[in-house]
Amino acid sequence: MDEDVLTTLKILIIGESGVGKSSLLLRFTDDTFDPELAATIGVDFKVKTISVDGNKAKLAIWDTAGQERFRTLTPSYYRGAQGVILVYDVTRRDTFVKLDNWLNELETYCTRNDIVNMLVGNKIDKENREVDRNEGLKFARKHSMLFIEASAKTCDGVQCAFEELVEKIIQTPGLWESENQNKGVKLTHREEGQGGGACGGYCSVL
Amino acid sequence: MAARDGSGPRLPRVAEPGVEGEPRLPTGRELTEANRFTYAALCGISLSQLFPEPEQRSFCTDFVAGLVKWLDLSEAVLPTMTAFASGLGGEGADVFAEVLLKDPILKDDPLVITQDLLSFSLKDGHYDARARVLICHMASLLRAPLEELDLLEETFLESLKESKEEDSESAEASRKKKENRRKWKRYLLIGLATVGGGTVIGVTGGLAAPLVAAGAATVIGSAGAAALGSAAGIAIMTSLFGAAGAGLTGYKMKKRVGAIEEFTFLPLTEGRQLHITIAITGWLASGKYRTFSAPWAALARSREQYCLAWEAKYLMELGNALETILSGLANMVAQEALKYTVLSGLVAALTWPASLLSVANVIDNPWGVCLHRSAEVGKHLAHILLSRQQGRRPVTLIGFSLGARVIYFCLQEMAQEKDCQGIIEDVVLLGAPVDGEAKHWEPFRKVVSGRIVNGYCRADWLLSFVYRTSSVRLHVAGLQPVLLQDRRVENVDLSSVVSGHLDYARQMDVILKAVGIRTKPSWDEKGLLLAPGSLPQEESRQVAATSSSDQTTNQDGQTQGPTSRDIPKAAIPPDLHQAQVPAGLDQSEGASLPAATRPAESPPLCSHGLGANPLGCLACARETQGPCPGLD
Repeated sequence: MDEDVLTTLKILIIGESGVGKSSLLLRFTDDTFDPELAATIGVDFKVKTISVDGNKAKLAIWDTAGQERFRTLTPSYYRGAQGVILVYDVTRRDTFVKLDNWLNELETYCTRNDIVNMLVGNKIDKENREVDRNEGLKFARKHSMLFIEASAKTCDGVQCAFEELVEKIIQTPGLWESENQNKGVKLTHREEGQGGGACGGYCSVL
Repeated sequence: MAARDGSGPRLPRVAEPGVEGEPRLPTGRELTEANRFTYAALCGISLSQLFPEPEQRSFCTDFVAGLVKWLDLSEAVLPTMTAFASGLGGEGADVFAEVLLKDPILKDDPLVITQDLLSFSLKDGHYDARARVLICHMASLLRAPLEELDLLEETFLESLKESKEEDSESAEASRKKKENRRKWKRYLLIGLATVGGGTVIGVTGGLAAPLVAAGAATVIGSAGAAALGSAAGIAIMTSLFGAAGAGLTGYKMKKRVGAIEEFTFLPLTEGRQLHITIAITGWLASGKYRTFSAPWAALARSREQYCLAWEAKYLMELGNALETILSGLANMVAQEALKYTVLSGLVAALTWPASLLSVANVIDNPWGVCLHRSAEVGKHLAHILLSRQQGRRPVTLIGFSLGARVIYFCLQEMAQEKDCQGIIEDVVLLGAPVDGEAKHWEPFRKVVSGRIVNGYCRADWLLSFVYRTSSVRLHVAGLQPVLLQDRRVENVDLSSVVSGHLDYARQMDVILKAVGIRTKPSWDEKGLLLAPGSLPQEESRQVAATSSSDQTTNQDGQTQGPTSRDIPKAAIPPDLHQAQVPAGLDQSEGASLPAATRPAESPPLCSHGLGANPLGCLACARETQGPCPGLD
């Protein structure tokens, strides 16, 4: 089946409990939204194939549980991940403040250093915003991450977030080529991505 | 669905433990939700690593799906578990294991998961060989001693068999062991009784079901025990242990199958066990090895062992022929020379010595007949196993020479059938006169869940000789390793233990140790325990351990466990010959040597020096009536 798939990428979604990680994933994979979504147990797993710049990539997305009691398991998911989506809630400053902890963990457990990180500020549909877009952008720039604000509820920026991430990963050949060789997939041709900016004003590729 | 609380919901017990005063013992369901998740995930990952073949996929996913339900985890984790079971996310297995090891409940008792998995695997009355391999794997990941699994399985059976505990035992060690057992018994029964719907395992194949229920009532209370006696419970018992409890010994060949004239299972041991071992003898000889069970006196893989009696007439002929060939080659020097010629791989069909070729007709005919019959018997055995005459529990097959050939054809036949998976746990082929080319062994991966052991001896000139004219002569499994890349396949070079084909019967206990199969400690070849007076102190304690009918006591685990694990690979060769020299001179010095090389402990090991006779020490074989020379 997946003959035209360029590569399989392992993507990880992390962030504090209740910021909407699972909702983002659900919106991305099934295009649905459930305001009453139960807390994730351990980790959730979904697969989706997307096409970026004519390259098809199969995404194996691991959506981790944010709750403290499942934290001990998180280190195991970092291994072999090519992209990480770090999510915070724009209506809860504490989730933004704790991003530093998550970055520390990321640095500690990631097995490669060229991994692509993306910061997502979720729930921008809500009124009571506590974290300004510029703050997020500044934080992302400081830690050389991609940045986007999104809403799983209104579908704003969700698709973009994943596409940008995948595009960046594909532009970093060392990141996924070795994976391919391990699996014995032959690459006949590879089209270079055209660089970021596909999402207009929302995305800032840094 | 609302978010779950931190500790996760706990199942209400169907039956509270009947005995008061003791703290309630944990089962898998009492772990925190996070750790139940981890436990299930680790099982999923382990399954995908143990059974990566696509045809095993459905077993793996079904198993974890069942486990999710068993552990009372949310359905939401199913896709994740399925992903784990199909080989994704395996990078983090060690993190999962570490997390589990830190769990306070598991820290106290690493066996919780072993017993929980065991209960889970048995709940449908079907003990799949793959499940047992998984349990062993999980036990090693969680650093729970493997011997304990056997103990758990035994306890499981015992708890259902005995109507009440007898307290007549006075010895402290024995009392402690019993206490330990009683504890586990309650774990297991509680684990099972809470499944609801009366899923139970049985001992006596349904015949003693009411009794079983009565016995269980004293342990888990009448509510839980009621389920045990139910019709469903009886059905499960029957399924686990074979039709109406008769099992393998009750099997009779209804009509002549093909060319087979004799085919029966003889019990080697009295006990019952959740997994069985079938040993298959390769030939019969006059004297000590005239019975099928003789070579297997030391075998102690499980408490329920059988040996297959097949075609005695032809195997006897073969054995006689083998001995004739030996006496035909009276010149030991010639034999020795032959051994090295074979070893160097120079032998072509034409370079065999004339003296040997002149007696070739003696062996060629019976050998040919037995080759043919062993293949037939193997196929027949396959269909018996496939029809689950032995019950739905894992089977381990061990055979030497033509017995190994029976196994080879049994596996080959099974591999062609649909439901061949999860029946065979391990197979051990010793000196197998079969094609050793990897491509012929590949289908076995589907059939065998655990290990595929090929014990070979490069210097086995007899095997080389009987294959001299055959096209497979370059790939005989009994002469060289089978080069199949799979976690299951283990090639064990027995050249230092086996110096001739006949040694496979004579040195069986050493060989079994070398390939990592448990043997009875201090078991004399004749099946008699050595007189305690003639043994060093350490050994008499081991004898005591044997007589208390338990192979897994602590002291046993310490003295036997490590050595049998250490030996299999390269450990033997240099030691063995050296160990022969001081035989009998200094027993205390012997204590520092590995068990397999200690002459006192393994009497069949020749004390005349193995090098003298490539076909095993004849002097020793003759002297077995008296005590081993090493002990005088």
